[in-house]
Amino acid sequence: MKKLCILFRSAPQGTVKGREGLDLALLSASFEQEVSLVFVDEGVLHLLKDQQPELIGGKDYISTFKALPLYDIESVFVCKQSLAEYGLSHGLLSIPVTVVNDEAISAHLKSVDEVLVF
Amino acid sequence: MALLLGPFLLLMSKFIIQVNGPAYGTSASVNALRFTQAALMGGHQVVCVFFYQDGVYNSTDFSLPASDEYDVVEHWQQLAVQHRVPLVNCVSAALRRGIVSEQDANENALNHWNVSQSFIMGGLGELITSIESADRLISF
Repeated sequence: MKKLCILFRSAPQGTVKGREGLDLALLSASFEQEVSLVFVDEGVLHLLKDQQPELIGGKDYISTFKALPLYDIESVFVCKQSLAEYGLSHGLLSIPVTVVNDEAISAHLKSVDEVLVF
Repeated sequence: MALLLGPFLLLMSKFIIQVNGPAYGTSASVNALRFTQAALMGGHQVVCVFFYQDGVYNSTDFSLPASDEYDVVEHWQQLAVQHRVPLVNCVSAALRRGIVSEQDANENALNHWNVSQSFIMGGLGELITSIESADRLISF
């Protein structure tokens, strides 16, 4: 068992990075790895609720984030500064997250075995 | 001899390499290839090279660079043969991008396929089990 951190730094629309990151996160968890998620930069936009990616030909993979507890993924961290830059407050987010500062993210990345950036 | 061998063995690492960029258009694949070659030359072990996201575009036999251009796909194939390093595609990432093996073509009633014999169609599960057995994952 390894500690894997999946870091989302790309917006949910425009590329499929976030979707392929989420696929990897869920699969890692089902393979009994200790998985944590970190959202920074444009990646925080994954957390905005009531998105409709079908309208632009995308798949609504974002709603799958609600299934994280079923996969025992409990460590979900969001960069406080990135949230502020995109004007997002806690009430606009679709899933429970822990809002943390840069130092906490840095410490977390040091504490895991591998970091995969999407 | 034992004195020389001892520290040498300690420096051995088991790597897994992840390639997320295509054969043409970004430098990810060439950088990954050069790192893999350097790791092997340095006596390290490479458990496998896993192709995910746009990295699956490295596995097509239908890429035809001009004759005076560097053929990264050919070099991956040579490396796999010379060093017996498995080249593994994420099959779901591949199928979405039109990267199809002979078996996938048969199963989906397609007349054509494009995945080189050098590549194995695998799943993310193989990436995870390789990460578990390796000392370090390097992503490009």
